[in-house]
Amino acid sequence: MEDRLNELRAEALARVAAATDEAALRAVDKDYNGKEGAVTLLLASVPGLPPAERPVVGKGANVLKRDIQGAIAARKEALEQAAVEAERSGAGFDATLPGAPQSRGSLHPLTQVRREVEAIFTSMGYAVLDGPEVELDYYNFQALNIPADHPAREMQDTFYCDREGRLVMRTQTSPVQIRAMERLAPPFRVIAPGRVFRNEEQDATHEHTFHQVEGLVVGEDITVGHLSGVLKGFLRRFFLRELEVRLRPGYFPFVEPGFELDIRCPFCDDGCRVCKHTRWVEFCGCGMVHPRVLDAGGVDPEAWTGFAFGFGLDRLVMLRYGIDDIRHFMGGDLRFLEQF
Amino acid sequence: MLISYRWLERHVDLSGVTPQQLAEDLTLSTCEVEGVEAFAPHLSAVTVGHVVTREQHPDADKLSLCTVDVGAGEPLQIVCGAPNVRAGLKVAVATVGTVLPGDFKIKRSKIRGVESCGMICSIRELELGDEHDGIWELPQELAVGTAVAEALGVADWVFEVDNKSITHRPDLWGHRGIARELAAIYGRELKPLDTSLPAHGDAPGLPVKVSAGACARYVGLAVDGVQNGPSPLWLKLLLLAVGQRPIDLLVDVSNFVMLDLGQPNHLFDRTRLDARGIEVRLARAGETITTLDGEERKLSDADLLICSGDRPVALAGVMGGEDSKVEGDTGQLLLECASFDAVTIRRTSSRLGLRTDSSARFEKSLDPTLPLQAAGHLVRTLQALQPGVTLPSAPVEDGDWSDPAHVLELRGARVRRLLGVDLSDERIATLLTSLDFGVERAGEVLRVRVPSRRATKDVTLEQDLVEEVGRLYRYDNVPERALLAEVAPPPHDARRELVTRLQDRLAGGAAFHEALSYSFVPDALLATLGLAEREYVRLVNPVVDGERCVRRSVVPSLLALLEKNRRLRADVRLFELGKGYLPERSDARGLPKEVHELALVWTRPKPGQDARFDAGLLAQLRGVLDDLVTAVGYPAPSWERPPAELALEPWMHPGRTLVGAMRLPEAQQWSLPIFLCELEPGLHRPLGLVNELAGEVAIARVSLDALLACAPRPSGYVPLPRLPGNKVDVALALPVDVPAGDARAAIEQSGKGLVREVELFDVYQGPGLAEGRKSLAYHVLLQSDQKTVSDEEAHKFFKRLERAVGELGGELRKE
Repeated sequence: MEDRLNELRAEALARVAAATDEAALRAVDKDYNGKEGAVTLLLASVPGLPPAERPVVGKGANVLKRDIQGAIAARKEALEQAAVEAERSGAGFDATLPGAPQSRGSLHPLTQVRREVEAIFTSMGYAVLDGPEVELDYYNFQALNIPADHPAREMQDTFYCDREGRLVMRTQTSPVQIRAMERLAPPFRVIAPGRVFRNEEQDATHEHTFHQVEGLVVGEDITVGHLSGVLKGFLRRFFLRELEVRLRPGYFPFVEPGFELDIRCPFCDDGCRVCKHTRWVEFCGCGMVHPRVLDAGGVDPEAWTGFAFGFGLDRLVMLRYGIDDIRHFMGGDLRFLEQF
Repeated sequence: MLISYRWLERHVDLSGVTPQQLAEDLTLSTCEVEGVEAFAPHLSAVTVGHVVTREQHPDADKLSLCTVDVGAGEPLQIVCGAPNVRAGLKVAVATVGTVLPGDFKIKRSKIRGVESCGMICSIRELELGDEHDGIWELPQELAVGTAVAEALGVADWVFEVDNKSITHRPDLWGHRGIARELAAIYGRELKPLDTSLPAHGDAPGLPVKVSAGACARYVGLAVDGVQNGPSPLWLKLLLLAVGQRPIDLLVDVSNFVMLDLGQPNHLFDRTRLDARGIEVRLARAGETITTLDGEERKLSDADLLICSGDRPVALAGVMGGEDSKVEGDTGQLLLECASFDAVTIRRTSSRLGLRTDSSARFEKSLDPTLPLQAAGHLVRTLQALQPGVTLPSAPVEDGDWSDPAHVLELRGARVRRLLGVDLSDERIATLLTSLDFGVERAGEVLRVRVPSRRATKDVTLEQDLVEEVGRLYRYDNVPERALLAEVAPPPHDARRELVTRLQDRLAGGAAFHEALSYSFVPDALLATLGLAEREYVRLVNPVVDGERCVRRSVVPSLLALLEKNRRLRADVRLFELGKGYLPERSDARGLPKEVHELALVWTRPKPGQDARFDAGLLAQLRGVLDDLVTAVGYPAPSWERPPAELALEPWMHPGRTLVGAMRLPEAQQWSLPIFLCELEPGLHRPLGLVNELAGEVAIARVSLDALLACAPRPSGYVPLPRLPGNKVDVALALPVDVPAGDARAAIEQSGKGLVREVELFDVYQGPGLAEGRKSLAYHVLLQSDQKTVSDEEAHKFFKRLERAVGELGGELRKE
């Protein structure tokens, strides 16, 4: 009987060693340890054996059963290892096949940059306000210290909405300054992004519809130094680098003193088309709020001072993406919109 | 406005100041210099030559063959066609390689068989004037071989000042004003200029009468003995440098004085004026005048006229009249220097579309003390050129004017508070004095005398003086300061937040692209869409005549974008968040009602036969809206056919329009913030969506105002199921006209509260089904919190459903 055990052992272990997949291993297990398996049958025959042989054969068959199971487990482990190893080689992988296309929409670049601007200012405690695009002459001009027949009206090429000149397409976001002062009690700080309109012929750098961001801060001792600090801080954060900036006199009837803030042209060192060879790009008009404007907003100019600024959002987007034609913004062309 | 460096040097010493430096300093302290350019750079490229010999060209009667000494090597052989070329002349020579205006490069060439090595230039070829009858004869004393610009001492730089930056500064519209700023910037003296009136005779002057308030001051001065003719070269070159074409001495001197002091003036031929004298009056409505440019102008009773007797001879402050202009050799002139009302001049000039150097200056409110100074300056300039010029009589003037110079109180503390710089009162006084303000200390305040040239409009408030101090100190020197304050978080802005969430959701998985379109809608588009009859806010002065309506809704502008984009892409999805204006709902002050809207348009080819039942765009967009509304915080809308009393927009498909009904916070109240539809079938062709661009078009319009008023989805969550559910599939065979909604209701009711999810996954008609039948197949999840849903329970559900479907006229389909 011992020979039979050895025979079975050799045969079974050889089959385990030869097995190349799990199914073959299961077959081996079944053939020896299954209900009708050779080892199982051997064990079943033990009671019929001579008493002397019984312990030897019984023990031997049990050992054999365990050894076959062990060999199967080891072989299975080895096969899995080999399979992982084979998988690791990456055979058959085509690295040049494209990814599965995902559909995706887009946010207008003006929206994206506007949000960036809003995020920077809201992080500095500014509220974001909105105002009407069809606006009363009072808010767009009169309350901003631009009475009827003021030459500044002609600088702005206004679209009028009635013959009496009472209603206009707002030429600037500045009317929101007055609306803000009417609504809020100082101290406050707000920005107001929005669409504005000027009756201009269109070309690559001129649009009759464009976008501005207005800012207004009113407080107890607001100075030119604060204005400079806020705008420079904004620019640093927006462009993520130190940009050379200059503040020079500029004329806007609703501020006094009034300034223009220029930034060093981000595209060149010695003059290019963008900066019209001046090395400076106009960024924004700003100044200390004119006392008459504070008055119009119901704010006492002796008790409070403030600064205001306004810059073109379109220009900022054009700088950011290197866009050379402002007409793309309102053109609604998918080839343009899809890129953002 | 153009400013010449050499001209400025007449008023202030600029030694050591480069043109570039000057431009920067002016920009940082006074006004924006937009450009600096060398004046006539080609004058530095052409050389002074001496015509040594001149012979007839062997083969051409009108050409001369010259040898010209240009100071280097052998004299050059040059063929010249000018009649005035002759031996001994000093001329301007462009040698081979020189580039003249208009990119005209001089080359060695053969003219009628004879070699020519350069060109002798005319005045016009050098862009110094129109004279082209012959070559430019240079003064004999010029040194041969030097550049013409250098020999004549006319090298100059021209600054372009942005007019907008000096709108508020009447004093800067002449060179002397700019020079005064430079004197303050560089701490130098302004050179004296004698503008006093020279001695005059005592003949009676021509009477002057001002009968309109719009003229504060009118000075008439008789000038005799002028020999008109070409101006001297220095004057021509100064005018050319600032872009003025020299005409003749009288016109040039008049312009010179205007560009020097900023005071426009006018010269009349006195022999053509009525002896009754000058009257300044308002025009009579319908009265006409022919201006110097030959145009007949029809006037209104708001225009100011200069009249000789009663005959209009000039449109005050804008342009002279044709029939009193100085012509030929008139020696008897009347010089007009006046102060006209800024608003009157501006209105006339803009109404007539006639903007002149003169009107541009009067619009700025000129100093009324200037007219007499300008008269003195002009006469002295003429006399320096022609000693025979005399004044037969004293100036005659009329008008009700006063010197606007006034005194303002300035608190040093106010300056420091606004600028944020610690400037002493002394420093403030010094800065103001350098700008010609008179300053006196009076206790805590400075009493500042504003000179008349700054006092008409520009400097009227304390804060205006702060600007003067700040700009001369230079804003760039103000230290940057942090803005400190206790700040509360900004108030919650529900609409802004909604807009952001809508945008993000749409641009994400829904794959819509955000477009921005104009607020003005073309009339043609409105007519196409059947919207022409609505009320619109209308522009009085549109850019394009047919685009004057301000939109009421965003949808039309987006529909107009479909055709061009469909040419580019098979699937076009656009959205825009914008404003519309409804004039019929204006508020008490006349401001039209503003509405906020989200518009979505989607077009693509029709789905194929084997596409899923919900591949159509209406179903697709409805899915997008369900997701969108839920994502931004509201319960999904209940989609219904529009109530009969609701007027649909003409672009909505009358049979395929749905309204999204949503609950208002008030119990049992509903709102309809959303419209969803296909495009009216008759509009596919007018909108260009036919042939290869044909397809389905779905549109949605969401009123943000209405949506914001709806009850939000309660915040909270559904606890996770504790017990497993039972998933079953059911297929219902139903008559085709039974709506899917009824089938769904039957499923829900049959579940007796166990139906957690119902999803329609197939709609089928065809083989295997009886005629007039359709099959609706659903995945249904039966689940309960109390118990595990057993198969027995599911079986009961099927039994109940079988009955319910039977009531709908159908039956359950067996696998």
